[in-house]
Amino acid sequence: MSEPPSDRVRARNTAGILLFIIGCLLSSVRLIQTSPNAAHLQPDDIARRAEHRFSALKSQLPASGVIGYIGESGNAGTEDYYLAQYALAPLVVERSKSHGLVVVSISTLPPKPDTEGLQFVKDFGNGVRLFSNKDAK
Amino acid sequence: MALGLAVICCLGSGYIVVTLGLPQSTPFIYQRMVRASLSTGFGLGIFSVIFFLARVLGLSRVLAIDLVVLGLLTVGLWWVRTRSKPAIIRMLAEETIALPRWLRRLLAVAFGSALAAALYSAILRSIVHPHGEGWDAFAIWNLHARFLFRGGEHWRDGLSPLIPWSHPDYPLLLPSAVAHFWSVLGQESTAVPAVIGLVFTFGTLGLLFSSLAILRGRTSAILAGLGLVSTPFFVEQGSSQYADVPLSFFFLAVIVLHLDGESRGDQSLYRGYGRLALAGIAAGLALWTKNEGMLFLVACVVAQIVVRGPEWMNRLAFFILAVAPFLMLVTWFKHSVAFPNELFSNQPKMLHKFLDSARYWAILKWFVRDFLRFGQWWPIPGTLLLALLYVVVAGKHNWQNSQQFWTSALTLALTLAGYFVIYVITPYDLDWHLRFSLNRLFLQLWPSTIFVFFLAIPAKVG
Repeated sequence: MSEPPSDRVRARNTAGILLFIIGCLLSSVRLIQTSPNAAHLQPDDIARRAEHRFSALKSQLPASGVIGYIGESGNAGTEDYYLAQYALAPLVVERSKSHGLVVVSISTLPPKPDTEGLQFVKDFGNGVRLFSNKDAK
Repeated sequence: MALGLAVICCLGSGYIVVTLGLPQSTPFIYQRMVRASLSTGFGLGIFSVIFFLARVLGLSRVLAIDLVVLGLLTVGLWWVRTRSKPAIIRMLAEETIALPRWLRRLLAVAFGSALAAALYSAILRSIVHPHGEGWDAFAIWNLHARFLFRGGEHWRDGLSPLIPWSHPDYPLLLPSAVAHFWSVLGQESTAVPAVIGLVFTFGTLGLLFSSLAILRGRTSAILAGLGLVSTPFFVEQGSSQYADVPLSFFFLAVIVLHLDGESRGDQSLYRGYGRLALAGIAAGLALWTKNEGMLFLVACVVAQIVVRGPEWMNRLAFFILAVAPFLMLVTWFKHSVAFPNELFSNQPKMLHKFLDSARYWAILKWFVRDFLRFGQWWPIPGTLLLALLYVVVAGKHNWQNSQQFWTSALTLALTLAGYFVIYVITPYDLDWHLRFSLNRLFLQLWPSTIFVFFLAIPAKVG
């Protein structure tokens, strides 16, 4: 049979569990502090803006297959490219010029994407242009 | 109407599968809670597999398939029930941590407050980030869901090697479950992946709480639940529409369902092979969630053999039998549909990295650093809080030395060791890879670690 715990053991357990509770509650407070402000909820609409940006272009593209994409280089350009793929799925959007149709995404900042060898098809506004590549296989 | 029917089919299928594997109903709320928590994840897993197979076979009426599956499962349950013996009603475990009443009340209030804070934060985050928080949500998981939903017969295009950054080799549990609900709705709704994320997050909490309430008493369950729900990173990731929290749910389910009732009466959650089959299904669904599921499965099998010995082999065979359909599905997916994983693409370089001791040292430093930083706890790291709690509460009592404990602990340790090895051979820049993934790998094991930690607290302290 196990002996009942002494007062010292009880006090130590109580202190340990109180410390654990305090540690957990402080982290919960931090969670609330880092949460969005309920009074000013501002949905992050990056993906929705990308949908809107490419919506006119979508009607000019085939329902499936692979198209090319060129745009700004670097991290910002990568996010734009991912969002273009997200908006244009189920088309596969490869970051290359070697396809019959190539989407060109132009940001407000220079340098402009290199469209050499491509033929302009249409400007859809919001920095979205469609080019064709007759040399593509 | 159609959505309501789909939700009923999803939860109903999960519930019946779980009920087939567990003893007949018992009057204890915690046992019902275990069943309900498992049903959510299992239901979503079944829904994912149904949709994927429907796409492979070119079937479009998914709701009709859902109804047929639910019907077949119901018949199966009726057949089993008419032939099985009445349930054995088990007593709940004696409290392993005895506290004065005022402290028990304080603990319950703290848990309620932390739960409310987590719900509040998760819901607000889901509203503010409708397409998920972070690139992986839209560049991997929701993108794959779009290909599955929008692509029709061209759904495989989403797994094209032309877009390697979207990780075309990643298994499809999450995207396929999302696409299933979109198909029923007839349109894409950002609410679907958000709700699925929340279901897995709070389902994991429910499973941790209820299984510990049965095995170690209500106080341990509340302490564990408080520890999980107060982990800011768990709540953030749970609402981010990534696959790490769903994976952590299935890892925990495997660990919980693997416990047997051999050494102590209060540890007998469920007896027999049905429980093992459910553990196998949970391991299979982990395989279908993320590549790390394979590592966990191997770790689980090795741990069972090492700790339980040869007499466990026939039970292990039953577990593997339950995993087998998922193993075949994932193997077929990897070899016939998806692009090969880039981790293993350059074997001569892998060997060179294996022999580079500097990589081991760098990874070890990251592991130690993230052990303290993990979870975005403030101001005391959660891992330290747990360690402190053990030292204080367990005191001079002996370590829990049951086979259940050691099997679970070894499974987690081997998985962690596997993660370490993956970093050793990674083709990516090591610092970059560790910086952007190590905390999520720790998170995958966190609910199971908390569970095993409270399993380790010796019987009757306080």
